[in-house]
Amino acid sequence: MDTFDLVRIAGTLICLTGIVLCWRFARTRVGAVAAPRLKAVALAGFVAAPLGALAVANYHTFEGTHAVDGCARCHVMWPMVNDLKDPASDSLAARHYRQAWISTNECYGCHADYGWRGSLKAKMDGFRHLSRYTTGTYQEPIVFRGHFNNGNCLKCHAGTPPFEQVSSHRLAARVLSESAMSCLNCHGDAHPTRAQRTPGSSAYAHLMEKPR
Amino acid sequence: MADADERSGWPRRDLLRLLGGVAAANGLGAAGWGAVEWLVPPANADTWHKSVCRFCGTGCGVMVGMRNGRVTDVRGDDQAHNAGVICIKGSMLRDLPSIAGRLLTPKIRQSGRLVDATWDEAMSLVARRFREVIAASGPDAVAFYGSGQLFTEESYTANKLFRAGIRTNNVDGNPRLCMAAAAVGYTQVFGKDEPSGSYEDIDHADCIFIIGSNLFECHPPLWERVERRRRAASHVRVIVVDPRRTPTAERADEHIAPVPGTDLLLLNAMAQVMCETGSIDAAFIERHVRFSDGTDTVDFQAFKAFLDRYRPEAVEATLGVSASVIRQTAFHFARSAATVSLWTMGVNHRTQGVFLNNMLCGLHLITGQIGRPGATPFSVTGQPNACGGVRDTGALAHALPNGRLVAKPQHRREVEDLWGVPPGTLSATPGFDAVDMFGAMADGRVQAALVMCTNPGQSMPNADKYRAGMERCFLVVAEICPDSETARYADVLLPASMWIEKEGVFGQGERRYQLIEKLLDPPGQARSDLQILVDLADRLGHGALIRARTPEAVWDEWREMSASSRYNFKGMTYARLKAERGLQWPCPTESHPGTVRRYVEGDDPFVTKGRGIEFYGHPDKRAVVFLRPYVPAPEQRSPEAPIYLTTGRVIELWHTNTMTGRVNDLRRVDTRFVELNDVDAAERGIVTGDKVEVASAYGVLRTSARVSASVKPGVAFAPFHSAQLLINRTVTDHVDPMSKEPEYKLTAVAIRKVRA
Repeated sequence: MDTFDLVRIAGTLICLTGIVLCWRFARTRVGAVAAPRLKAVALAGFVAAPLGALAVANYHTFEGTHAVDGCARCHVMWPMVNDLKDPASDSLAARHYRQAWISTNECYGCHADYGWRGSLKAKMDGFRHLSRYTTGTYQEPIVFRGHFNNGNCLKCHAGTPPFEQVSSHRLAARVLSESAMSCLNCHGDAHPTRAQRTPGSSAYAHLMEKPR
Repeated sequence: MADADERSGWPRRDLLRLLGGVAAANGLGAAGWGAVEWLVPPANADTWHKSVCRFCGTGCGVMVGMRNGRVTDVRGDDQAHNAGVICIKGSMLRDLPSIAGRLLTPKIRQSGRLVDATWDEAMSLVARRFREVIAASGPDAVAFYGSGQLFTEESYTANKLFRAGIRTNNVDGNPRLCMAAAAVGYTQVFGKDEPSGSYEDIDHADCIFIIGSNLFECHPPLWERVERRRRAASHVRVIVVDPRRTPTAERADEHIAPVPGTDLLLLNAMAQVMCETGSIDAAFIERHVRFSDGTDTVDFQAFKAFLDRYRPEAVEATLGVSASVIRQTAFHFARSAATVSLWTMGVNHRTQGVFLNNMLCGLHLITGQIGRPGATPFSVTGQPNACGGVRDTGALAHALPNGRLVAKPQHRREVEDLWGVPPGTLSATPGFDAVDMFGAMADGRVQAALVMCTNPGQSMPNADKYRAGMERCFLVVAEICPDSETARYADVLLPASMWIEKEGVFGQGERRYQLIEKLLDPPGQARSDLQILVDLADRLGHGALIRARTPEAVWDEWREMSASSRYNFKGMTYARLKAERGLQWPCPTESHPGTVRRYVEGDDPFVTKGRGIEFYGHPDKRAVVFLRPYVPAPEQRSPEAPIYLTTGRVIELWHTNTMTGRVNDLRRVDTRFVELNDVDAAERGIVTGDKVEVASAYGVLRTSARVSASVKPGVAFAPFHSAQLLINRTVTDHVDPMSKEPEYKLTAVAIRKVRA
């Protein structure tokens, strides 16, 4: 049982406790119990438990979106997820997944920068994705709007012998660290190409199968 | 109304509150969405435009990102043939339009110094001097020296102006220095130039035979394609033949390092093994192949008899490769399900370059390793438009458009008809090839020349000899910068626009033509090379001949002309090229998808139905396997010059470094060194960093030493990018007798330590 499961159980308990307290408050006649105690029940049932539940729910949601399944909830992401798990795919994402170079939360591993600001930025973008998804204000193939931070690659690769031995990496260290030159330029696409993800392409039907 | 409210159970006030709450919640959500749309950082560019890389012959598709009229990002185009992969040079295209030190105004040499001039002053001088030379010494006293980096429209126009206007065949260019051996080799074998296969064949090959090519450094996206194939199929075998242990060789399954200059022995020995072991495709040979000793047709038995002297055991000592390795290599080449051969300058930069090209094609023909996915001989090219712009337009001294030859009267008549000029307009005298052209400048046979988009002052072998020719000749140089090694010899220097500062078509190594659209205005007074040629045509009185004056008009004329040949690309309109990621010829109609594999039924529109494969370039519709004897190179090691010097590129830089050397992040690459084997270094008391003198029969220079095991004992390597080092001062100018391509890869030198 990991932290995520513990939080989920805690959230469930808080919700149940809140419901019980609210129910007891509703069943209590005014004057039947001491006012301070009634106030405490009211405070716990109407304020503390919902706040606790909200905090836990937020944590649950945020943590849930770290998982690959969180991304797969929107069908426009299915091509990325299907490709990720395709043992025959040569995309960077699939190769990282296949080799277990990133062992958990594979999408988030490359799409959130370090630290809380990285998570915050990822959530902001995630909220933008959600807004566009729910309002249908997007077109396939979807295109990454922002500028990918090479730091997501460099946090693992920089400093390793295979990386440092490449003269071009040393030469382009500045532009790579500033994300002024994309790592993908030399190392190929991370995900299926736009052409593959365009409705009507030969790969589209396969890529849009619901991920298992 | 009050009754109605009571009946519905929703008092108006409550309803309004509820609606207000819903509106507020929606407003809050929309505001949040708007906030994150605003806060999430945008990409580096506002608009993205399809284009093509300016550097090597891979011809990668790129997406150019722009903001406020400036290039702000360059990415690989994932919809192009390169599937989004480019290299560090392509990535640095972002900085190319804004490099410092561009030539902004025309300049005229006065009292030994180049001074600013107007376009009219400069072009008037050019036209006057050209007219004077032609009047005094005839049209063959002027010349055009072009480039595999000009747009096709520019090379085509120059070719037409000089051949049909000025009436000289002195039209050549830097592809002579890199691709002539392949062009002649293909034409001899198939009757038509250019590879029959495509990059796509790498995706299907089980054996990838790379010879004389440092693909990892010189064509990185193609190497990445090789790696992709290996990742997809673990049984794929990559064999690299190279005297150096290049980064490509390091990554191969097998590295074969022959003695420099002997690799025709390897190819002939492989053919001998294939014949001896029956690893040939007799049915394919019977149906599609003819054998020739170079003069007469011979039979298969004569071919086998010729190969007897190349038994592996007979050649292994000279070749420096064991007989068992030769036999294994022959086996893998012949018996794999599909073999693709890739080669470039290690094969072409040789006095036996044509023979090597012939024999590489020959190995594929005798084993039937051609015309199937993954099976093809493929000459990789070094410049972005050497194929489409120069080989296909016939902008080489011996050639005419679409594979025609100056030496053939019928071909000259056909071109005269197509260009609408009187019979006899085209000279029957072949022009000077590159080496001869600069030699002719030195002895006065060529007195005025126009050089465009290339830097022969640095790139010619035996450089000092030919720089003297440039000094003597009235040299007009269209350039992007005022300080190239050629610009220093210019009498008139013309500021040229480049890449996305103009519009035109590049044709890369797999017969794919791609359009580069104009996205920026050129700096200062720079003009496109096409504008300069049109202006020159007008001033020389040939304006009526050069009727097409815009890139698209020239393209349409050239497109129509191609329809008279098997190079037919009439279906490639500008509109299609704008919409698509390049098209491969033949492509005769606007509905034709282009041809991935030439000579293959169902793909190539010129193959007769029912033939399967048809090598229609020769009248008998057969490809030719030549009996090509190994001849030792003119440069041989001796006690006085005991080391073979070979030259090449490094991954970050390109050619003579006039562009990459001005990109901030690339200019720090130091290529002023010579790399030599640790045994040779120890014998001479040399360690890395020591100053050494490199001396050949052609020149002497000093540079730094790098000691390495990547070259064999008796071999040294130097990059050719540095103008300060100018390694070509020591490089031989021996040429292949057929292609006239110089043997850059093999010069005997002495190396000794000197005081710093």
